[in-house]
Amino acid sequence: MPNGPSVRDVRVLDRTELAPGVVLLGFYAPELVAVTRPGQFVMAIPPSGERAATALAIYEAQGERASLLFFICGARTRELAELRTGDTLSITGPLGNGFDVNGARNVAIVAGGVGIASVLLPAQMLIEQGARVRLFYGARSENFLVDRERFERAGCELCCATDDGSFGHAGFITELLAAAEDKPDLIIACGPSPMLRATAFVASELGVRAQLSLEETFACGVGGCWGCVVPLDRKSSQAPRFPAPANGGDFVYARVCKEGPVFWAHELRW
Amino acid sequence: MSRGSVDLSVTIGSLQLPYPTLMASGCYGSGEEFEPFVDLAQIGAVVLKSVTRAPRLGNPMPRLVATPAGMLNAIGLQNPGIDWYLEHEVAKFAKRPSAVIGSVAAFSVDDYAYVTERLAARDEIAAIELNISCPNVASEGETFACDPDLTAKVVRAVRGVTGKTLIVKLSPNVTDLAAIAASAEAAGADALAVINTLRGMSIDVNAWKPRLGNVTGGLSGPAIRPVAVLAVYEAARAVAIPIIGQGGIETISDALEFFLAGASAIAIGTANFTDPRIPVRIVDELRDYLTARGHSSLSEIVGKANVGFATPFQYEGGEG
Ligand SMILES: Cc1cc2nc3c(=O)[nH]c(=O)nc-3n(C[C@H](O)[C@H](O)[C@H](O)COP(=O)(O)OP(=O)(O)OC[C@H]3O[C@@H](n4cnc5c(N)ncnc54)[C@H](O)[C@@H]3O)c2cc1C
Ligand SMILES: Cc1cc2nc3c(=O)[nH]c(=O)nc-3n(C[C@H](O)[C@H](O)[C@H](O)COP(=O)(O)O)c2cc1C
Ligand code: FES
Repeated sequence: MPNGPSVRDVRVLDRTELAPGVVLLGFYAPELVAVTRPGQFVMAIPPSGERAATALAIYEAQGERASLLFFICGARTRELAELRTGDTLSITGPLGNGFDVNGARNVAIVAGGVGIASVLLPAQMLIEQGARVRLFYGARSENFLVDRERFERAGCELCCATDDGSFGHAGFITELLAAAEDKPDLIIACGPSPMLRATAFVASELGVRAQLSLEETFACGVGGCWGCVVPLDRKSSQAPRFPAPANGGDFVYARVCKEGPVFWAHELRW
Repeated sequence: MSRGSVDLSVTIGSLQLPYPTLMASGCYGSGEEFEPFVDLAQIGAVVLKSVTRAPRLGNPMPRLVATPAGMLNAIGLQNPGIDWYLEHEVAKFAKRPSAVIGSVAAFSVDDYAYVTERLAARDEIAAIELNISCPNVASEGETFACDPDLTAKVVRAVRGVTGKTLIVKLSPNVTDLAAIAASAEAAGADALAVINTLRGMSIDVNAWKPRLGNVTGGLSGPAIRPVAVLAVYEAARAVAIPIIGQGGIETISDALEFFLAGASAIAIGTANFTDPRIPVRIVDELRDYLTARGHSSLSEIVGKANVGFATPFQYEGGEG
């Protein structure tokens, strides 16, 4: 049994359009499932192989089936969206460090839009550990609050918000987080960067630790090119501490694909 | 002829490699990052990310932009500097199953010589590549590769401090690449790496601002392949030393274009981001191609597209 990441061709088992332009792609990959940790991602290579790989979170990983949930937003995701049952695609992964949820008892998960793709696995793991899990889920409109029944079935309490008010709170999901009565002992979040920034702010106001899964443009996805960096606070960060150049001392660049994609909120320099 | 009997080995200066496939500088980390996905014993050599005298933070983000048939990058030579590098990084290259080539960048002749001397002194480093052509460090970096006299000056200085194989990496962003190639050879280069990235830029039309934090970047991938093939062709006509062709190589047929244009070896960069299995696939298919055509070694096809091809008249005639 392989015990780490690898690159392999996998067969598509099913494909569902959860909302216009939002695709759930299930594939057969028992070896990937066996080594996946919540919050990790893969580089998905469409079969033509001519386009660069796309970083996508591992949405489900159970038994022999894993799945990816993505929004069609450009050429590569369009190509992946055209796959049908029986087609093959190549997957490099699992990559990156996941969420660190050990010991958490009362967790608030904040997901914005396609950020939902990163948080099903940690939610399932937390519930298995006996934690209370509240999902704060925000999207453009009700249509794009995809797959929420699955989170309810898994045992999450759901709080939703939409930009257009078509479902749940009309406004930002972080407003619901800030207003929640029972203070969580951990916040984990994935979504667009303004949402992550707001989450980090709410977390620090509440005095709660927060882990954020960041998105950056990736090229290699494995730490080889230094293209995907984010600045981290030199003092509080766990990232490798290279010597500081004479002109810039108080932050370090960390690779989102290698040292991340999950970082502690207090490490980040916005 | 049996498949195994084709000779794919290549000699670059005093460096002998079992396969003609190098992993391009800056694209492959130290090799370690790709180890779970590729058998590094089937890689010719890994060219390390360029290292400088002082630590460099690199450019602000975003550093990458996808473009049609390629990408723009502006990493800005992020690296920990030669002291830290020698102390913390270099020892681990001893265990690599493929050869490890150090890459040196600098902003003065003295610094090129200083960093090269220290790096080349280490047994773990099989050869030195001089990056005199990085487009991402504003006006600092590229001046050397753009002027035959400066190229000669820096190559001579570096030649004076190491006997190891010296590869000089040329820039496509010049008017007369052949002159610079000849100048590098005359100054003592053992081989040329042709080409580094092309300068490029992309603008976000919604935000009305450049997409890269550094404004400009280096273009790589299939978009630059025809430019790179021509550069290899031109350099091969100007020098007798081996050329390591690079720029958008993704498939066996891309690789063959470079060999036929005059490259003795190839380097693969951006394609590894698409699929890390590409270098090994190219070697397998190269063996099949040569076998099917009855060749016993790769060297038999190197530069063959040079023979009796464009006359100077056709060649100067332009493409209009
Ligand atoms: C670790 C990680 C995990 C990820 N997980 C997922 C996931 O599970 N599901 C998922 O859907 N995505 C995920 N992403 C994002 C995903 O990688 C990219 O969205 C995807 O690569 C886009 O690919 P593409 O080639 O289809 O689009 P591209 O060709 O890259 O084009 C995207 C287009 O959208 C445009 N665009 C981008 N942002 C904006 C904006 N704010 N406003 C207007 N236009 C914009 C760009 O300009 C471009 O034209 C993840 C990213 C990372 C780093
Ligand atoms: C992300 C990235 C980083 C690079 N960094 C370096 C570098 O540090 N030094 C160097 O000599 N070339 C660097 N290059 C250039 C490559 O080594 C190579 O010459 C170029 O990308 C063309 O090959 P390709 O099209 O196969 O990528 C870099 C290229 C990329 C894409
Ligand atoms: S994408 Fe290459 S280092 Fe992260």
